[in-house]
Amino acid sequence: MKGSIHRSLALTRKELFSTFNSPVAYGIIVFFLLFTSLWFFYVQRFFAMDTASLRSYFSVFPIVFTIIIPAITMKSWAEERKTGTAELLLTMPFSEWELVIGKFLSSYTVILIALILSLPIPISLLPLGHFDGGAIVGEYLGALLLAAVATSAGLLFSALSKNQVSAFLGSLIILLIITLINQITSTFDVPLSLAALINYVSLAFHFESFSKGVIDTRDLAYFILITALLLFINTRVILFRKWS
Amino acid sequence: MIEVHNLSKRYGTLEAVKNVSFSVGTGQVVGLLGPNGAGKTTIMKMLTCFHFPTQGTALVDGISVQDNPEEVKQRVGYLPESVPLYGDLTPDEYLRFVAQARLLDPKKQNERIHEVLSACGLQSVRSQRIETLSKGYKQRVGLAQAILHDPPILILDEPTTGLDPNQILEIRSLVRELGKSKTVILSTHILQEVEAVCTQVLIINEGRIAAQGTAEEIASTLKGGDTWELILKGVSSEQISPMVEQLGAQVSVNHVEKIGDEKISLRLFIPSNVESKTMNDGEGIFDWAVDHHIKILQMNRRRFSLEDIFVKLTTEGESK
Repeated sequence: MKGSIHRSLALTRKELFSTFNSPVAYGIIVFFLLFTSLWFFYVQRFFAMDTASLRSYFSVFPIVFTIIIPAITMKSWAEERKTGTAELLLTMPFSEWELVIGKFLSSYTVILIALILSLPIPISLLPLGHFDGGAIVGEYLGALLLAAVATSAGLLFSALSKNQVSAFLGSLIILLIITLINQITSTFDVPLSLAALINYVSLAFHFESFSKGVIDTRDLAYFILITALLLFINTRVILFRKWS
Repeated sequence: MIEVHNLSKRYGTLEAVKNVSFSVGTGQVVGLLGPNGAGKTTIMKMLTCFHFPTQGTALVDGISVQDNPEEVKQRVGYLPESVPLYGDLTPDEYLRFVAQARLLDPKKQNERIHEVLSACGLQSVRSQRIETLSKGYKQRVGLAQAILHDPPILILDEPTTGLDPNQILEIRSLVRELGKSKTVILSTHILQEVEAVCTQVLIINEGRIAAQGTAEEIASTLKGGDTWELILKGVSSEQISPMVEQLGAQVSVNHVEKIGDEKISLRLFIPSNVESKTMNDGEGIFDWAVDHHIKILQMNRRRFSLEDIFVKLTTEGESK
């Protein structure tokens, strides 16, 4: 177990080193911070609203994640396959899980850094009104869980794709669909059972309760289970390639 | 050390390796020879757990590649054919990653990396990004990665491809040195490399083993006799055939050519089943020439080279 963690972390370190060795990761983080801030202050007009709530700030996170996370994960597997370095990784004594966890942690760390760098916004606004601290914590927790699902989905698409572009587009489209699918229930008149099913699938729907400051165990379980399932499928894709 | 039984690999409808069986002991350097697409790389990929066999078993140090790939990978050092490397890392950083991934003792990592960098002649470029290195240095980085954990088994897919003659000699010498204590399987197109480095040869053709053993063993099985090249004086090309018949019914003339006044070039084939010992070591030919007042100006037994073996084994199917 200890060996597995060390191996995964060795891969994570190597991946992070490569990620921050190129300007792309910095660009993605800057894009995230700029987009969310502009959305909050200029589109949602936070100061004009005169409300002590950051819901509108966090409400854009699901959409931004559908763009930035595929951009982070797209190279994870697709680039390894393209350059042939997958052969090195797969012939080193990594198990499939160690590889997938190592890749997951490296991409997730980039999101984590982006989220940490977004903290000055709520921190600087807190003295301006009576904000609900619990709601902000819940919103960040929701963002972390949402990012975990999106990262594992991005990694899976990267593992399934031959190049970075198709990995990016594939995960972008799928994430957009499962994020925004709940809009159908509010736009169209759909039967209740179908609406429940659509909402259950939607990432934005499950994120919504966190943005209200409510930590519902069903939403928590949804994010954790979907992340685990996608990572598991990723390990099977790697294993399947050995047999095919 | 390595035991392979009825190993097959199918990619869709293509059967790349067909029922291959062989074994390699400790301290042997085995050369996998074969034309492009023969299945050499596929065999290597299965032994390194990059691909699993469709059928059959492969045991590395007694461990099955399918049942316990992680254990097998601990014991194997592998240099893939295309030498894939992380170009944005330096050799030092890259080897550190490999050392960490292979769980080498953190206290000994620096020392081991230093040793391997020196053994592969990489000290001068250890802090240079891999993508800026020449092909030769990249090859060495790949080899350094393969030997870093001091594995008992080394699998090297065309380790000298793209290197200059000096680098080739250095790598061959390194492989020979490693082969004293390790089991080494290397694939190559360079026949001289097999002759220079390998103790055993496996010739692969169309996914099957066409021959295995030492080059001499294979040659003696295949050649079925000796070819003698002679330059004779005092006989014409028309006279020679009836004279050769007196050497024995099984001795045949492969080639005869007039090359000057009363000089001919003659190529004789003497099958190994000719009972006369003197015939086989050339003495019989000499006596025969003396009896017929023929002067031998040049006499040479043509060795059956690895190149002859390779061509014979890998083109048999085509000629059929």
